[in-house]
Amino acid sequence: MDVRMKRGLETAAVLAVACIFAYAAWVGLVLAPPDREMGDVQRIMYAHVPMVQMMLLAGTITFVCSVLYLFRASWKTDALAEASAELALVFGAIGTTLGAIWGRPTWGVYWAWDPRLTTVAILLVALAGYLALRRFVDDPERRAVWAAVTGIVIAVDVPIIYFSVKWWKSLHQVQSNPSTVDPQMVHALRWNIAAFFLVFIVFLVARYRIALAARVREVTVPEAGPRAREAVAS
Amino acid sequence: MNALATVLAAVGEGRIQGGWEYVKAAYAICWTGLSLYAVSLWVRRPREDRK
Repeated sequence: MDVRMKRGLETAAVLAVACIFAYAAWVGLVLAPPDREMGDVQRIMYAHVPMVQMMLLAGTITFVCSVLYLFRASWKTDALAEASAELALVFGAIGTTLGAIWGRPTWGVYWAWDPRLTTVAILLVALAGYLALRRFVDDPERRAVWAAVTGIVIAVDVPIIYFSVKWWKSLHQVQSNPSTVDPQMVHALRWNIAAFFLVFIVFLVARYRIALAARVREVTVPEAGPRAREAVAS
Repeated sequence: MNALATVLAAVGEGRIQGGWEYVKAAYAICWTGLSLYAVSLWVRRPREDRK
């Protein structure tokens, strides 16, 4: 496949994702019925829930890539771990902000130190530290190992976040997913989860390419160690 | 029973009226945040993709 055709296909894919995203937003904002008690405010769920789900997915990808890197060093898994960690931070920060806005009219406060919110806050701070660690270590191999270990430690928080609402039965409601929301809202929720997932994939591929290109540039310079240069091929 | 009555009174009943300003703010932050991140990915794209 030549470069022009590849770019054309990529552009078409991005435009298709943008159209699906716009349709999903319309379904959530217009087509879906208002909630019996929360009224129209509940429409925030169609953006908040998928964003937080993508954060958890990205955190899981970081964990898997970190484990894989420690078993078999590869710049591809290291780059994917970096990309997914950044996406977890972006989707998590925006998703948490949306949750705070949703909390104001329903709970009466933007923020409460509820177990779900607290564990998410811990994850966001840890992810920021993870990305900072990657910037502070110059040696690519050492950085990848340290980041992999840190990524595994951070990912322990992911299942805690998911199960926190079941374990502690706190202020935050149980997970909103197609099996827990009203059947009239399932259609809108499914469309939005699919749309945000597609956006997530587009971002992940783009960020992965950036990370991998940076790694290749680093390890192909003359001062890079022999192990680093060998690993770039894997 | 008094404690229960206090809790129920605090919970209230009925539907939240209005609230579109919260919905608009949430979606504006979501779309703006994702758009800015998309721009940052475009700006940082690898050199070989710029040719």
